[in-house]
Amino acid sequence: MPVERVSQGFKDVSMSFQVNPLNNDLIVIKNETAIARSIRNLIFTLPGERFFNENLGSRVSRILFENMDAITASVIKDEITNTINNYEPRVDLISVDVSPNYDQNEFNVTINYYIVGIDVLPQQLSFALQPTR
Amino acid sequence: MALVNFTNLDFDQIKTSIKDYLRSNSNFTDYDFEGSNLATIIDTLAYNTYITSYNANMISNEVFIDSATLRENVVSLARNIGYVPRSKTAARSNISFFIDTTGFTTRPVTLTLKKGTVCTSTASFGSQSYTFTIPADITRPVVNGIAVFDNIDVYEGTFLIKTFTVDSNNPNQKFILDNSDIDISSLSVLVRNTQSSTVSRKFSLSSSLIDIDSTSRVFFIQEIEDQRYELIFGDGVFGTKLENQNFIEVSYITTTGEESNGVSSFTFNGRIVDNNNRVVNTGISLLTTNNEARGGQNIESIDSIKKYAPRIYSSQNRAVTSTDYESIIPGIYPEVESISVFGGEELSPPQYGKVFISIKPINGPFVSSQVKDNIKNSLRRYSVAGIVPEILDLKYLYLEYSSFVYYNTNNAPGADFVKSIVDNSINLYADSSEMNRYGARFKYSKFLKVIDDSHESVTSNITRIVMRRDLRVQLNQFADYEICYGNRFYLGKTLGYNIKSSGFTVSGINGTLYMTDTPNPDSTTGTISFFRLNSQTQPEIVRKNVGSIDYKNGEIKLFPVNITSTSKRNGDDSIIEISVIPFSNDVIGKHDLYLQLDINNSSTNMISDSISSGLDISGSNYSVTSSYTNGDLVRI
Repeated sequence: MPVERVSQGFKDVSMSFQVNPLNNDLIVIKNETAIARSIRNLIFTLPGERFFNENLGSRVSRILFENMDAITASVIKDEITNTINNYEPRVDLISVDVSPNYDQNEFNVTINYYIVGIDVLPQQLSFALQPTR
Repeated sequence: MALVNFTNLDFDQIKTSIKDYLRSNSNFTDYDFEGSNLATIIDTLAYNTYITSYNANMISNEVFIDSATLRENVVSLARNIGYVPRSKTAARSNISFFIDTTGFTTRPVTLTLKKGTVCTSTASFGSQSYTFTIPADITRPVVNGIAVFDNIDVYEGTFLIKTFTVDSNNPNQKFILDNSDIDISSLSVLVRNTQSSTVSRKFSLSSSLIDIDSTSRVFFIQEIEDQRYELIFGDGVFGTKLENQNFIEVSYITTTGEESNGVSSFTFNGRIVDNNNRVVNTGISLLTTNNEARGGQNIESIDSIKKYAPRIYSSQNRAVTSTDYESIIPGIYPEVESISVFGGEELSPPQYGKVFISIKPINGPFVSSQVKDNIKNSLRRYSVAGIVPEILDLKYLYLEYSSFVYYNTNNAPGADFVKSIVDNSINLYADSSEMNRYGARFKYSKFLKVIDDSHESVTSNITRIVMRRDLRVQLNQFADYEICYGNRFYLGKTLGYNIKSSGFTVSGINGTLYMTDTPNPDSTTGTISFFRLNSQTQPEIVRKNVGSIDYKNGEIKLFPVNITSTSKRNGDDSIIEISVIPFSNDVIGKHDLYLQLDINNSSTNMISDSISSGLDISGSNYSVTSSYTNGDLVRI
């Protein structure tokens, strides 16, 4: 008899470490939220930041200090694409859009992706990247 | 699943353990994905475990003397068993010079060479300059206008003085010498009641509590961190206790150790005053070097401490067994490279009541008579009453090889190329600690492997071994000789010519003679004969029964004979080289025999391996080499 595999979905702890008032347990983030958090973590992790895994992460935080133009936006886009492809196997990328917002001195990032393994609609993750120390 | 492996030192394995634990014990699922929050937590936990494991591992390693790696821990563990590691030792040189005072307006009565720097090495000794000092003032009278400073021992290094004032209000006061590189044998400790006192008491270094009472003026020493030393004074029970405001003056030499060995040319750089305390700058002669700088030693290495500390402890500062002597002597005479000690009862015939010590110093083959006397005197403190230590001179047992190395011509550019690599490998083996020590064993199979492994083109080798000793001859006087090999001889030919010697002449017999043997019917003993060579293969026995040979014990004796010359010399010594084939190719340096591979008298011959090279697949024209010795009757 074939083994029946039941997907449990994805379940992660919240970095806020706050207590869920309903069950007095840690707040849990699931599925789409967990994966969105994971993508953000990967993008904001600098290579070398994680112990014994010096390649993990992206150089986006450093690139933000380059000249704000379409070329830098393109570099950021490549960096995000590579990072997600390399380190987030649960995601099937559709597109990554990075556009400079000169007035706010930031890059607007929009990532569209499918989630592999669970039956949900394509996801969109948007955030702004600002150079901060 | 329980998390069981607490001591893993691999970060990834620790992380895998934690993930395995979560996989079976948690309803979280994202531990496998590096971007997840859980992965960050797992990384932190794993790193924490890793650091803890590393610390636990280091601590447990450093607790035991066998596994400790940090010097201060090894020293501390050795201290627990009463072992003080040897300090650096300053190289010592002996110089002479004189001062001509005839041109001085006021003739001095005496001249004093002040302690501290005396001379420096001249530029001829490499690019480094070394300073040589004396630890105390030396005063000489001026006779006929000349003051002679003869046979002055100077020590390489910098002369330093450190003072302490005893503060009894400070129960934790420590007397630590700030410098590393101190030669503790140069330590001089003077104690005055107060800083302004003029009378000082000399304290001496003690290494044990034996014969120490409450009035003994002694101090003890221990190595602390950074290769520095701490002085420990008596407590009023063992050794005089120091009083408040006592003023301690410690003088010592910091040295570069063995770097300055060999310095032989000096320039005066000292300070001389006359009896009126006027500085003398003129009339100083050039320095004559009586003995070049010798005896400089580096601080005892961690490996050496690990080796000797338990042995010294087990010998309890008593020289009873031969290993006790082997442990104690390097402490007395640090220049030991190798040492062999055996009781007289092991000899044939036995010499009871004696212990024989043979020392190979680091510099040169022999220990001087003066050093021998010093060692013997120092050993009296340790040795059992009634046992007389005898220090023997070094006896070399040479091994000569002739190796025929087959090589695949397809894998090497040429025979010379492979030969140089093979010779290089053999040189390394000859210089290794496998040889060059007492009690060494030449391992034939290892040696063959060294040759085989030296280059990929080497397919095999045929190697013959002979043992050789050099008989030092007393020319133009009757003397009997005995030479021991410590290894059984191989008796190949029952008609003799098993031993080969170099040439010599004997009073009353014409021509150059050589030695040969004639076995007795028992095949364990035989007699020695002298013969002449009419041609390379035609010997003519000229004198029979001039000595005896014991094949089993490896001994050759010559009855009294007057040898007038020898064809071989070693420096100033006339020698006869006598070589024999060992019964076993594994040759042992027994007792006082120091085993050495004599590369200069050995040969490496390259032969093309026609089978492996594909030149002669059937092997019909294969060049065969005999595994036995050549047909020569003598050593030319």
